[in-house]
Amino acid sequence: MAFDWQPDFERLLDEHQSMVFSLALRMTGDRGLAEEIAQDVFLELDGHMGRIKSPEHARFWLRQVAMSRSTDALRRRKVRGMDLWVELEDGHAARAEERPSPVGTRLEHLLTTLPEAQRAALILRYQEDMLPEEIAAALDAPVATVKSQLQRGLKLLRAKATNHLREFTRGA
Amino acid sequence: MEHEELDEFERELKQALERRPAPPSLKLRVMERRAQRRHPQSMIWMRLAATLLIVALLGGGLRWGLQQREERRQGEEARQQVMTALRITGHALNRVSTRLAAHDRAGE
Repeated sequence: MAFDWQPDFERLLDEHQSMVFSLALRMTGDRGLAEEIAQDVFLELDGHMGRIKSPEHARFWLRQVAMSRSTDALRRRKVRGMDLWVELEDGHAARAEERPSPVGTRLEHLLTTLPEAQRAALILRYQEDMLPEEIAAALDAPVATVKSQLQRGLKLLRAKATNHLREFTRGA
Repeated sequence: MEHEELDEFERELKQALERRPAPPSLKLRVMERRAQRRHPQSMIWMRLAATLLIVALLGGGLRWGLQQREERRQGEEARQQVMTALRITGHALNRVSTRLAAHDRAGE
């Protein structure tokens, strides 16, 4: 059956700006940089509108490009996530209504201390609720690698959380 | 037990990683930058159209000028031919006239 879908840039921007911004924010830990990356991703989308075939394709494309541009930005800046998060907490923090719980903030903070590949896999798994196969496609990596990154990332994050957040460990 | 603990941790992680709302300025800036990118494109097309128009006008003018020059050249050539023909005719008439005069003198 023919699927007569026409991409509408402004609508895609409205629908996915939160997703793209959040992916960039969690990858970089810097609100300003995340906003810049999100802007660049949407402007890149504007140039690719003719090749976007469906809403699912648009979402997949945006996730893939947001992750890729965030990784590029991190490599360009060569800044460690922890430093950026300290800046975020001290300075241009999110609006009060956007702020997660202190535990959530701490977990986000700890997430930025994980290796980049593990962080990317965990963000896509737990922010975007994606399956390992979908993550593998978005990150252009083998499924087995993604599963391993998820497992190791979660284990490392849990170990860090156990040290920092006693409330996650039973009987602590 | 370990599995339950992990599930609880994963739930907490999922909650911590809920999408954050994008800053209100994001859409505005994207739309501004998009418009700025499109504006130069339209300017390029307008400049190209203006250039083509000027080239067409100059080309037309040049062609008209060359045509005029060619017409003038042809007119001049035709005039020269007429003048030559008139000169030849005049020369021939002079000769005829001279001969007639000589003939008249011989007849007297």
